[in-house]
Amino acid sequence: MAELTGHENALDSLPPIPASTQLLAVAWLRWRIFLNNTFRRQPKSKLQIVGLVFVVLLRIVVWSILALMVVGPVVGSGYFAWLAIAEGHPQSLASLFLGITLLWLFVSVNGFGVAAAIQSFDPASLVRFPLRFGRYFVLRSLLGLMTPSTIVGCLALLAAAIGIGVADASLALSALAAMAVYAVMNIYLTRMVGAWLERWLANRRFREIFSVLMALFFASFQFLNLQRASAHAHGVRSSWLLSVLHSSGSYLDWLPPGFAAQAILLARHPFAAFAHLAALLASTALFAVVFAFRLKKQFLGEYLGEGVNRRAPAQAAPRLKKRVFDTRPQSANAETGAILSPVVSACLRKDWLILRSNSSQLIGMFMPLLFVVIFSMNRGISHFSSAYFLPTAIAYTLLGGLSSLYNVFGADGRGAQLYLLAPVRMRDVVVSKNLMSLALIVCQVGIAWIFVCTLSRTPIPVSVQISTALWTVFVVALNFAIGTLRSIQAPHYFVPGQARQLRSGTPTNRTSAFMVLAVVFGSMLLQLPVILAGSVFELPWLPTLVFAPFAVAAVLGYGFMLKNAERLLLAHRDVFAEKLCKA
Amino acid sequence: MTTPAIDTNALTRRFDDFTAVDHVNLRVDAGQFFGFLGPNGAGKSTTIKMLTGLLAPTSGSIRILGEDLEANSAEIKRQIGVVPEGMALFGRLTAGEYLQFVGRMYGLDRATTLNRTRELLEFMQLADDQKKLIADFSHGMQKKLALAAAVIHGPKVLFLDEPFEGVDAVAAGTLKAMLQRMIARGATIFLTSHVLEIVERLCTHIAIIHRGQLVAQGSLDDLRTGQGANGQDAGKRNLEEIFLEIVGTAREGNPAAAAPEQELSWLS
Repeated sequence: MAELTGHENALDSLPPIPASTQLLAVAWLRWRIFLNNTFRRQPKSKLQIVGLVFVVLLRIVVWSILALMVVGPVVGSGYFAWLAIAEGHPQSLASLFLGITLLWLFVSVNGFGVAAAIQSFDPASLVRFPLRFGRYFVLRSLLGLMTPSTIVGCLALLAAAIGIGVADASLALSALAAMAVYAVMNIYLTRMVGAWLERWLANRRFREIFSVLMALFFASFQFLNLQRASAHAHGVRSSWLLSVLHSSGSYLDWLPPGFAAQAILLARHPFAAFAHLAALLASTALFAVVFAFRLKKQFLGEYLGEGVNRRAPAQAAPRLKKRVFDTRPQSANAETGAILSPVVSACLRKDWLILRSNSSQLIGMFMPLLFVVIFSMNRGISHFSSAYFLPTAIAYTLLGGLSSLYNVFGADGRGAQLYLLAPVRMRDVVVSKNLMSLALIVCQVGIAWIFVCTLSRTPIPVSVQISTALWTVFVVALNFAIGTLRSIQAPHYFVPGQARQLRSGTPTNRTSAFMVLAVVFGSMLLQLPVILAGSVFELPWLPTLVFAPFAVAAVLGYGFMLKNAERLLLAHRDVFAEKLCKA
Repeated sequence: MTTPAIDTNALTRRFDDFTAVDHVNLRVDAGQFFGFLGPNGAGKSTTIKMLTGLLAPTSGSIRILGEDLEANSAEIKRQIGVVPEGMALFGRLTAGEYLQFVGRMYGLDRATTLNRTRELLEFMQLADDQKKLIADFSHGMQKKLALAAAVIHGPKVLFLDEPFEGVDAVAAGTLKAMLQRMIARGATIFLTSHVLEIVERLCTHIAIIHRGQLVAQGSLDDLRTGQGANGQDAGKRNLEEIFLEIVGTAREGNPAAAAPEQELSWLS
């Protein structure tokens, strides 16, 4: 046994820890985590090598799509900024900067899932080390600079500065300076919003309110967009929406986007430009101070959980009642006349109780319906073709709920070991999990269907309804089958209903998240050409004929997966136990 | 009069209407091996979190090594080591990487950090696994690593929340050896554990918390020599009997805690 060397310390004789030591240590920590996440997966079997190749290919595709999502706003910002100066609409710069800020905030709050799934560490855990608050503040400001929101936002602002510089070279320097300060302001604004959201979202009631507010925000955004499109289509130049948008422009002058725009546009009047830049810096400082105020509370040991509502033991605690235990085998449900086996019923009840206590999750699941309703109200879309509208609306409705099928045991955490220990068949457990998901999907799809049929301007033909139903069966069964496989092969612990800011994890791991996207978009890509062919060749029943065998095959595939669930679990029980039970 | 290593005055923590820790006055002198006991949910972990600056008290004050924790948290954190309830390890690092990170955060220079990392990994019998990710460690290995990280900077006061929970006898032996070595060198150890035999063997002083209130405090000998409720001779009671007597008495008023023989009859 190695000898431990002694240490002589005294509270007042220790030299101060250099800031660089601690800052570099945290940078090194982040770098090691990145390296370990990226290069530590060594495949041991041929199957794992094939899986790894598949995952790499899938990631290349998905990251390319995400890169396009970055390129869009960046190129758009540059072009719009150039247009504003070159075409003589400098007042619209402030609106552009506001748009970039809103995009930045939106991406930051929603995290785009993929980024959230990247395993890192909770920066709040650094408070246990001997850090002074100033250093903690600097660390919290620096950590997360490589998130999608910051990358997209900074690139968009850089593109805007370049666009302005190309349109008028004399504004280039002031544009770069103003955009740099505006970028810092946005960083502190998003940090501030994130930190306060983290505080508020720790409370369940607020999570529910926040979910409703987000739903209303998205719905109103879509609604306003439809209003604008409708006004534009009818050549209306003085709708209430347009007047609100025009009048809001003048208020922007008194807000950070206006300060940034004026600091650029008044470059030929140094004093005025400097005054606006100073106002922008003051806004940045304000956001930084509010962010620091929140961090300080956290630094001093603020409790972020729900209030502990443990009651003192009651004077007359309920006595355990004597119960007669049913010793009949599980298959006794046939004798008792129950539709579901006791295992399925018990699991269903448990999952329902969990779901019921996460109303924010429930609200989120039904959000796509809101958009379907709004889209249904759009004459342009609903008139386009009922052959496309119904299948698209149903596909959109399905999009949100399918990812949960890929990690059905994730929310069980350590509790999942009961499935390994208790005398239950995995098939029954999977069936119960899928029944719950199916019930929710049927509700969502059913409501969307009714809305589309009711609000559509033209009646939806029976052939379209049947082909859409068959496509839905195909997609749902296919996702159930692959989801069951992934749930057992690659489970991933997460806490349902909690915000990403609380670092509780995401509902699926990265590979599963990519697979959901691939399967759903793949299914949609199958759907569109078939419908198009049916429409072009005037064969209304063609989609039905094509989707029927797909639906049957997917249902059979799901049946096969259920039949083999037991064997699959046995083969992967080590991973299953490790990922969930050690969580 | 010597400065106590840990000194709390009316330390209180409330969560909404629930008082987890209620006006606790603790005094732990330097060099003591102090056992902090209590039934589940009594307030032990909440107290440790407050003593280590991870949770703010609702009211009351904490002095560590004579300094106010709130005013001098960074300086005090340099002098204390903590093995928290959830261990708080970074799962995506290897054991060696983790210890190096912790050493640097406590201001140790690179050479010292590397030396101590090597020594600690050998002492804890983790040297062969130092390149494995912590996420792949067993529970016992994680406990050993958490203790190694807590002592890498040579703390004067060590807080351990259930260090022996889920640890095998061999690993427990290693942990105990390290703790006794620290005590021999003058460190103060504040430990919570449900394994009363270990507490009895290691600790010189004990405090018992129940429903957030301190119900007993003193040296183990003082607690032993107190008159037993059933008239047992002084000095003959072990810690388990003392604990059950103190906590059990408090439970008598709680019908839910009693387990009459007629209940759970189906178990036999």
